[in-house]
Amino acid sequence: MSHIGLISPILAQLNSGVVVVDDEYNVHYLNNFMERHASLQLSQVAGQSLFKVFADLPEAWLKRKLMSVLDLKTPAFSSWEQRQYIFKLPHLRPVTSGSQYMAQNCTMLPLQTDAAGQPLICILIEDATDAFVYHQHLSRTLVELEKANRQDGLTKVLNRRYWEEQLKQEIHRAQRYQHPLSLILFDLDKFKDLNDKYGHLGGDFVLIELAAFIGTLLRDSDLLGRYGGEEFGIILPDTPLSGAQEVAERICKAVADYPMLFNQQTIRTSLSMGVAEMHPKAHVLHDDLIRCADMALYSAKRAGRNRVCCFQFGETEYQKKVN
Amino acid sequence: MALPVLICDDSILARKQVRKSLPESFDVEVQTAGNGLEALAILRSQEIGLVFLDLTMPELDGIGVLEAIKAEQIDCFVIVISADIQPEMQRRVMELGALAFIQKPVNEDKLHGVLRQYGLF
Amino acid sequence: MNGSFNEEQRDCLQEIINVAMGLASDKLARFLNTFVHLQVPSIALVGASHLPAEIETRYQDIEAAMVSQGFFGNEGLRGEAIVLYQMENAHKISALLGYEPGDVSEIEMLTDISSILTTTFLNGLAEQLDNSMSYSAPRILSSRNRDIAEVLTNTSFHWEHALKVDISYQLIDHSFNCDMVLLIPGEAVNHIKTILDRILEEY
Repeated sequence: MSHIGLISPILAQLNSGVVVVDDEYNVHYLNNFMERHASLQLSQVAGQSLFKVFADLPEAWLKRKLMSVLDLKTPAFSSWEQRQYIFKLPHLRPVTSGSQYMAQNCTMLPLQTDAAGQPLICILIEDATDAFVYHQHLSRTLVELEKANRQDGLTKVLNRRYWEEQLKQEIHRAQRYQHPLSLILFDLDKFKDLNDKYGHLGGDFVLIELAAFIGTLLRDSDLLGRYGGEEFGIILPDTPLSGAQEVAERICKAVADYPMLFNQQTIRTSLSMGVAEMHPKAHVLHDDLIRCADMALYSAKRAGRNRVCCFQFGETEYQKKVN
Repeated sequence: MALPVLICDDSILARKQVRKSLPESFDVEVQTAGNGLEALAILRSQEIGLVFLDLTMPELDGIGVLEAIKAEQIDCFVIVISADIQPEMQRRVMELGALAFIQKPVNEDKLHGVLRQYGLF
Repeated sequence: MNGSFNEEQRDCLQEIINVAMGLASDKLARFLNTFVHLQVPSIALVGASHLPAEIETRYQDIEAAMVSQGFFGNEGLRGEAIVLYQMENAHKISALLGYEPGDVSEIEMLTDISSILTTTFLNGLAEQLDNSMSYSAPRILSSRNRDIAEVLTNTSFHWEHALKVDISYQLIDHSFNCDMVLLIPGEAVNHIKTILDRILEEY
């Protein structure tokens, strides 16, 4: 039994597009899929140029591909990952997918014809919209994951691991381009008392509120991270000690004047802040810079809290670093 | 009288293919060589009327054989049968005095045509 | 699977591959308008466990891209072609293919040239075997931002041995070169032997 009779109903039912053109790019055949999606009738477009029938085709690009098929008698391919679509067609999930046009994988095949016949090319168009949509979801999820990987779960500022990573990079950059770099470490005064008075929820509330508030006081390039329980750090690229001190003073004052409302109670708190500048000549590891800022932070605590102290390189300190 | 023919190719398959592509009624006495040096040894010691020569071979390649045939004025016809058919190579081979250049895989009709063209068959 | 090829099968395969290479470089030379330098392709049977290390050694310290394309024909002939490029070569491809700068992405150029190299060669091979090939779309396995070694080590091979054909392409005018590694794995090697035996019987 011959199967020839099956071919035409199968082509009609196929959920892929089939277009046949000759070596002058004139349309010889379209299957029902193409007719329906492009709102065309084969009888009306047969013999016309492919690029006239589908005016949106990337003509120069597609001609190059089709030429390679004709010259080399080998197939050519196009993937939605590089080119979302070649034929601008609506897709099969108009309701549930976010993309506007059918994402496509296309294959261009040399058709075996008799030696004397005109060379033909068959273009197969597969709907890859599902893959495209999944891929978009995946990309979004990856972005979110990466963000989650950098973020402190409670306060949404940078987590310690990522923040320290950034500090290393900034130190490297500052050394390389001989730019100043400063670091502020600060800690909430008497946080334990807050926790005792308002409970852990109250403590968490304060951490969240302050992290968000301090974030609004910084430049885009400054990097705020949570270093420990109630201890935070700010990396200030391109900033000398004097500039960093100004920033710290401003934050310190603003926080002291910032009342927070928790369960109908107003909470006030203050910060102790230590500022240190990376010494451009000394080869400072990020731990060294953190230690310097930490020493300044403790000076601020010892001096009575709610204040800013700066770390000054003493002669001996500096010698120690160099050695 | 049978025509003494030498088929020189490093591939056994290629030698067989050439042998099999010769016309059935072509009266020949075939010898084979697996590289250029073997071919030259035969050409220097025996009268060979026609050589089918591959180009890419170990020891001595087809170009080397053609150069030696030219230099030593060995009297024989050479038909080159090669997979490397880029124009530059064809030009070089013809300059060195080859009768014809046939692309691999050897096509029977093409081979017969060449043999007929030069009155060898 | 019973090990290696006998001498006759090996000779037959080498000749067929050499001829396929010749056919491909002629077509490529015309299409790309440049002289294609031919080196005799080398054939070997390799174990799956050796492959990553081998490719890694060859491309050590070089930024390289890897494109794969599957092929399958009649009589159980199937495998995968991997084309490897040095990334410093990548910008030469657009000129080679006649693309305008910015016309296509780097990945598209790599998949295009890979597909052209792979399918012209394999069509020539199939023709001699009285076979015909179908191909999957070419896919980038690794490029600038992914390490070849990492990709290969994370690939678990479902075969023990494969027939490996190494082909190096050199396009003279563009001083462009790349390597193609053809892998015909597992059971398909036996199918190749059957095909070769049939050809040998004919002569």
